[in-house]
Amino acid sequence: MNKVININFQGRILPIEEQAYEILKQYIESLRVYFENEEGRDEIINDIECRIAELCEDRLKKGTVCIAANDIDLIITSIGRPADFEAQDGFEQSTAATAHNSNDGRQQNAQQNTSGNNNSNFYRDGNRPKRLYRDEQNKVLGGVCSGIANYFVIEPWIVRILWIFLIGVNILAYLILWIAVPSTSIKEVGGVRKRLFRDIDKKVIGGVAAGLSKYFGIQVWIVRILFLIPFIRFVVNFRHMHLFQFWDAPDFPNFLDITFSPGAVFIYIVLWLVLPEAKTSADKLEMVGEKVDLNSIKNTIQNDMEGFSKRAQSWGSDLYNRNKGTNNSNEASESNLEGTATTHNQDANKSSENHRSTENRKGFLYFIGRIITVCIKGFVYFILAIVGISLLAALFGIGVAATALLPLKNFLIEDGAQTWSAIGAILLFVWVPIIGIVTAVIRKFAGLKKANIWVRSSFIALWVLGWVCIFYFGSSLGNSFSRHNLPAEQSIALTNPKIDYVEITAAPKMKYYENNWFQFEPFQGFADEDTVYVRNLRIRIVQSLNDSFQVKIVKLSNGKTVQNANDLANKINFELTQQDSLLYLDRGIGINKIDKFRNQHIIMTIAVPIGKRIKITNKGWSQTNVNINGRGMRTGTIDRISSDENWYDEWNEPWDNESYQYERGVEYKMTKTGLEELRRDRDFKTMEDSDGSSSYDKQEDMSDKEIQLQKLKEEREAIKNDIKKLKEEELQKEKTRVVKVNDLKKDDIGNSNLEKMNKIGKAAGKLSDLQWVLDRFTH
Amino acid sequence: MDIQNTQSQMRKGVLEFCILSIIQQGEVYPSDIVEKMKLANLHILEGTLYPLLTRLKNAGLLNYRWVESISGPPRKYFVMTEEGKAAFAVLLQTWKEMTTAVDQLTQEKTNTAENSNQAVS
Repeated sequence: MNKVININFQGRILPIEEQAYEILKQYIESLRVYFENEEGRDEIINDIECRIAELCEDRLKKGTVCIAANDIDLIITSIGRPADFEAQDGFEQSTAATAHNSNDGRQQNAQQNTSGNNNSNFYRDGNRPKRLYRDEQNKVLGGVCSGIANYFVIEPWIVRILWIFLIGVNILAYLILWIAVPSTSIKEVGGVRKRLFRDIDKKVIGGVAAGLSKYFGIQVWIVRILFLIPFIRFVVNFRHMHLFQFWDAPDFPNFLDITFSPGAVFIYIVLWLVLPEAKTSADKLEMVGEKVDLNSIKNTIQNDMEGFSKRAQSWGSDLYNRNKGTNNSNEASESNLEGTATTHNQDANKSSENHRSTENRKGFLYFIGRIITVCIKGFVYFILAIVGISLLAALFGIGVAATALLPLKNFLIEDGAQTWSAIGAILLFVWVPIIGIVTAVIRKFAGLKKANIWVRSSFIALWVLGWVCIFYFGSSLGNSFSRHNLPAEQSIALTNPKIDYVEITAAPKMKYYENNWFQFEPFQGFADEDTVYVRNLRIRIVQSLNDSFQVKIVKLSNGKTVQNANDLANKINFELTQQDSLLYLDRGIGINKIDKFRNQHIIMTIAVPIGKRIKITNKGWSQTNVNINGRGMRTGTIDRISSDENWYDEWNEPWDNESYQYERGVEYKMTKTGLEELRRDRDFKTMEDSDGSSSYDKQEDMSDKEIQLQKLKEEREAIKNDIKKLKEEELQKEKTRVVKVNDLKKDDIGNSNLEKMNKIGKAAGKLSDLQWVLDRFTH
Repeated sequence: MDIQNTQSQMRKGVLEFCILSIIQQGEVYPSDIVEKMKLANLHILEGTLYPLLTRLKNAGLLNYRWVESISGPPRKYFVMTEEGKAAFAVLLQTWKEMTTAVDQLTQEKTNTAENSNQAVS
């Protein structure tokens, strides 16, 4: 049953089947693409259309009722498809030449199964390399998994299981593959098959954007902007890169970050290397291919979904049969076991069908053996894939992190050889192998030849150069840090050292940038372009010898030479300002581009007099280490470290050790034996609400509450009595009602009962409330 | 050597010449060209013929005329222009020279081959 429509085609009215009309439309579209760069394109197409119309009319004159798909196919064959023009250059060498050379079994299989005519041109080329197709014959949803399985010559359901394991990221991948990978049963009207090419006619750099735009049928500039916007934004301000971050992935870049970030450049380069140029006009045809509009996507998915529901149904009935079978008899269950095999794999079904009738048992063993081999195979593939992917991901992570840190390089790396070796290391050591591997993998999947020997060997040469760079960079940077300065302790005068209580905190209204992605320690925040601030600070708390607070700092730095290190240490500018009891720390050690970061750090010693209190807040300087070894007593006095050289040992000692865990936001009191915890900030209060400090707030208004308590207790007694009375009444009434029950209507009983129950319920509720309040007070 | 490729190259070279020689005989409808060539055992697709005709027309060698048909809209018939006739004459001259040259060469070869065969026998 086919719908017939009337069309006005080149001045002729033709009754044509809808399907035939679609074929005709696609054919003419393919001609339009083929002759795109021809001078008299419209004229040629017009002539051909005229001819088609004429041929159609001839058919109608011969007595055909309407033009069917078959007729159109014949007409198109006589005029020729664009692919034929290309292949034969004008002459049909022989009719046999167009005959399809059948390739490997898979493709042959596809040919047999789909309506032969449509497929004829698709496998024209006998030497076509192995390529990834969606398998229409073995599909569950879109045939992507079975296509991949065919590619690797493994069972489809292994791929499906792996796919389910990796669920999440791969839903997107599945959709992309579904749309982009050609199907084995693709309709070859006019030889239109879709492939991604680079369009060299319209290229700016490599023609990647132009090719993509052709593929998706959109304007080139849209693709170009999509490629460029994120890149421009990255250059302007790379810190906004996590704008599209969906979940918290602290050190692994997520998909969207790659897509909308400098990853665009990476993707561009990979596509550039992978995609072939559209050289011949057949390539150009494939580049545009079938139109991907909403309608065609909808159609594909609709068709596939219909098939899916049918398959799901048959699978369901299979399951049902199996269950029934196990209840009934042995024979039935055995045959249905094979039924489950069918659902997994149709090939297995066909082969086992042959065995089934003759040797049931043998078929069963065969099935078991198959499962075991497949499991082992799948497991090995799985492990290999996981290892490979994680290695690549790690490399990629390093690459992204290192690239993102490049703007900071001036604060660390000297100009000249060191900078160049650093850039070389990132580019050649990290990115070159990533691009190489990804390209090779995609080339393999896309069925392209291996890149030629020159490309491959230059990749390897670049990588070797990367090794050289990384070694040079490592040793040169190590050299820059090799010496340290001669430390000297400096006193910082406090405006009011006799104070009772000191709180160390960050300066107010100071911004501290936190970046989820990279913790570039010690580069915590960077205020402007010329200076970054590092917070390499440690605080020692010791006992003061007199009754005033004392602060001393030691500035430490590394450098190429001792002299250099001394200079850098002297340049450290660290302010400590006192406001009443608050000691404000500076925003950090300023590092500028000239002096670079050479592990400048400060050890600050605070001497607290006995009986006085100190607190370090947890604002801002959360990375600061605080050392009060041995409760502040082991270090004894402020003068314990006699030799200045020992400061480095002090710095290298593991601080915050097990002996005494100092907590920020907690107030401590210096006693003769060391620091003693006093009171916590509100942040820490919730945990220990009811003990110690919180209890004495209550003592003040205890008397009020006791009175309240008394009242509540009395109320409770009263309500208890009420309830007792109510219950007794209820019982009495119930007794009398039992007698009257036959006289009374049932509705009345329900109503009155309901009222009573409500009353009791309310009373009970009140009681429980009271009980709860009482409980709280008594505790 | 890729024989198929050479064959198609040879055919391609004479294709335009063949078409021109058919049109030179008088006004013609494209599908008639295909028929005539088929009779001469040269197969051409209409899809390749139309662009070729358009190219020759744009080069000024051909012209076309709308001819009323019994059924349906008028049909496009191709005729040769004066310029086309001149070009055809040149091509014909070249073709004759070439055939004699090729004949001579191929003849010689087969002759020598025959001679050598005779010598052997």
